[in-house]
Amino acid sequence: MSKSVLVVDDSASIRQMVTLTLSGAGYATLEAVDGEDGYAKATANPIRAVVTDLNMPRMNGIEFIRKFRAHPSSTGVPIIFLTTESDENMKRQAKEAGATAWMVKPFKQDQLLAVIKKVAGP
Amino acid sequence: MTVMDPRDVFHQEARELLDQLEEALLDLGNASDDRDLVDCAFRALHTIKGSGSMFGFDEVAGFVHEFETAFDRVRKGSVAISPPLVQVALAAKDHIARLIAEPGRHVADGEAILKNLRAIVSNDEGSDSGDTFPLAGGRVAAADPSPVQTPVQTWRVKFRLAENALVLGANPLLLLDELRELGPCEVRVKTDAVPPLESTDPEVCYLDWEVVVTTNRDRQAIDDVFIFIADGMELSIETVAADAADAADAPAADKAATAKVVEIDKPRDSAGAGAKGGTSVRVAAERLDELMDRVGELVIAQARLSQLAVASDDANLKSVAEEMERLASGLRDTTMGIRMVPIGSLFGRFRRLVHDLSRDLDKEVDFVTAGEETELDKTVIERLADPLVHLIRNSIDHGLEVPSRRIAAGKAARGQVRLSAVHTGSEVAISIVDDGAGLNADRIRAKAEEAGLIAPDAKVADHDLFQMVFHPGFSTAKEITALSGRGVGMDVVKRTIEGLRGRIDLGSRPGGGTTVTLRLPLTLAIIEGMLVRVGRGRYSIPLSAVEECVELPRDAEAANSGRNFLNIRGHLVPFLRLRELFKTRAAIEPHQKVVIVSAGESRVGLVVDQVIGNSQTVIKSLSKLHADVETFSGATILGDGTVALILDVAHLVNFGQEFENRLRDERIGRAA
Amino acid sequence: MNIGIQSNHADRAMTALTLRLQDEVFAIDAESVREILDVVPISDVPNAKAFVGGLINVRGRIVPLADLRLLFGMDRPPPDVNTRIVVIEVDLDGEPTIVAILADRVLDVTEIEAATIEEAPKIGMRWRPEYVRGIGKRGDEFIIIPNMGKIFTLEDG
Repeated sequence: MSKSVLVVDDSASIRQMVTLTLSGAGYATLEAVDGEDGYAKATANPIRAVVTDLNMPRMNGIEFIRKFRAHPSSTGVPIIFLTTESDENMKRQAKEAGATAWMVKPFKQDQLLAVIKKVAGP
Repeated sequence: MTVMDPRDVFHQEARELLDQLEEALLDLGNASDDRDLVDCAFRALHTIKGSGSMFGFDEVAGFVHEFETAFDRVRKGSVAISPPLVQVALAAKDHIARLIAEPGRHVADGEAILKNLRAIVSNDEGSDSGDTFPLAGGRVAAADPSPVQTPVQTWRVKFRLAENALVLGANPLLLLDELRELGPCEVRVKTDAVPPLESTDPEVCYLDWEVVVTTNRDRQAIDDVFIFIADGMELSIETVAADAADAADAPAADKAATAKVVEIDKPRDSAGAGAKGGTSVRVAAERLDELMDRVGELVIAQARLSQLAVASDDANLKSVAEEMERLASGLRDTTMGIRMVPIGSLFGRFRRLVHDLSRDLDKEVDFVTAGEETELDKTVIERLADPLVHLIRNSIDHGLEVPSRRIAAGKAARGQVRLSAVHTGSEVAISIVDDGAGLNADRIRAKAEEAGLIAPDAKVADHDLFQMVFHPGFSTAKEITALSGRGVGMDVVKRTIEGLRGRIDLGSRPGGGTTVTLRLPLTLAIIEGMLVRVGRGRYSIPLSAVEECVELPRDAEAANSGRNFLNIRGHLVPFLRLRELFKTRAAIEPHQKVVIVSAGESRVGLVVDQVIGNSQTVIKSLSKLHADVETFSGATILGDGTVALILDVAHLVNFGQEFENRLRDERIGRAA
Repeated sequence: MNIGIQSNHADRAMTALTLRLQDEVFAIDAESVREILDVVPISDVPNAKAFVGGLINVRGRIVPLADLRLLFGMDRPPPDVNTRIVVIEVDLDGEPTIVAILADRVLDVTEIEAATIEEAPKIGMRWRPEYVRGIGKRGDEFIIIPNMGKIFTLEDG
């Protein structure tokens, strides 16, 4: 089974934009609507990389990253988080939680692809 | 497969988020210090900002950013929630909705809202919106799409990954690939630190690399390669003279590294597999309609198959037909289920309405809702919004008294409006109940007389009098307030509800309040119908309206018997001859049947030539060319492929009455 | 009123489906034609405008059936082997609508030279001029180009 890039965002439009961009570039994708959903999907499916928002209901992105990193299946899986401003505090927290890379919204499709390619390979 | 444009998705999402925001704000107005609500409001704002900026709604992102900044003191708990604060936040929410709906037209209005907000949250503090939201030019930490070109230079890059880098998803192979993209590379790996196999931790990277790269890109480009893993890594980047780059062959470092990035086996979290029941998929509404159409066609085709099977002796065909019938009806139920939406999504919208009305009219109102989980066809729900707005507005504006009057009448100063929904059989009943003054029978009477709807001396029961409010152009409010003077009357409400094949009950107790109950069918798409024949034509009567079928007595068969009444168990039931109404030319047949239907409060018989039987009826609407024919609510396709019209019972009865009046006038005219 | 057509078609021919109603040949813009059917069972719509008094089933879709012969004051003999139903799309107040029309016989698809199309004369015609978009000529034969949009939107049609 091919591994998917898991896209975790409570914003349907961003989720769609990210998955369309990724699937357009040949990546398999999987969507989750918040941290809890993301955790369930990340631990139940073969995951190649995770793209997650930080600001989400039920379980926010930082908790999600922390919880996923505590699970053995996260080993070697790059996690890219999306953040609105370059809020150093949030960025630090996400990195401490085990994130691999980040993107600042708003970003363009080619920027997203560049980052995915950088951390997850083409 | 058609995919929705993310911008359209954003529009829909923004609507939902704004609803959430409004909900949270209104709740905050009631229970001022709930941190969860504040967080919820912030989250909705933040998502709107993030998504908005992604899809080019820069005005929205900019405004929300300013708003968030000013509101931050509320989040931090240093400013308490107050009614004025909720008010300005609601105004901000409306402003955001306008910015999204009509970009470029309302930017200026935002400043006033922000000014208000800042005044409320910081009585003394000078407005420091210092950091404005950076809009264009999305800065991504990596991968600048327009690379800076500099003269060709050679760099020596030495690096060693942080110990946990592999675990956290770093991949040295990708780093090397990226360096190679910058220009020709020589890669050397130092394996000194690799321990004996038995003490190797497969998740740790023990290698050091030294890469000599020749590139026309600047130093920043090389830094960017390591941007995400810079923490805890050892990295040195220095220039080397072009000719000093020694051509040592790159050892097979890549393979070694690959071997390290082992996939440890992944114990499946069995709990995770049972992923939270509530996963959902967004589907464009038109596709649901399309699906329903297809299912409708399937049901029709299946009816044909059943008809063939009945006429056939083939046992196999019969069993396939039965199987198909079972499958088609299952598919139909599932599809109709998909179209069902909880009515709570609609109820939520009215909280704001009540809030605003209560403020503008100086009436204290408790708005209570119940039965939010009750499901109805999405089309029905969409079309209910306007009638409900009107009814709620009526309740608050005309029904509820001002506090002083209420106290004088021995009631609590706060009035109550209760909106509830409940399933009753194949219907959903939606009630709007207020504890106001009730309908004023005298005033309605005066108004009805004025409008010439009833004669001044006519005796009219209250119940019938109340029905007058549904008459076009009827309005009892003495002073038309700004709120109710919208030109939509109860007649429009009634028409909308009837258009949904529903009906309205109206009840009132003087001084005790008014109850309006809307009764609606669960779905618009498929109904149970009774198929009848009149002359050569076949028609479907919605079974929900049918009460019973009787034989037309011999003495009533003649068309000109003068009295069109039946005696049904001691009650007089008037009847209409459909062959007359439909101008059927075929000869009158013996043994006509009467289908007794309920039309509003009364019962009416419809005389038909034959009752064929009951069937699933897939409703298709008639084209604009037949919009003038009100006696039919739609048409359906029968098992043999022909078209049958579906009777609109209420309109048919009206039409029949007018028809008889005309006929009577003609007879009298002739006699005179 | 018909200037628009003339300029529209000034430089190109109109591709039309021609059909016969009683003794007259009518031309319908071929682009608007969806399909041509043999006669199917027709359900009457009581109390509807007489010229759209029927409904038919076109592949699961319920389509109003119009009889133009009524508007053009023609006899209405019952269907025979040559009778066809032509399903077309017309624009009703900006809304594309599928309607069917009865034809005593469908003739052919033909090009009508723009130059031969003339405005309907205000006199010398038994029909309401609004119903006719223009008159074309093919050889010695006149071809009536009906104005479908008008026919289906005029209230008293």
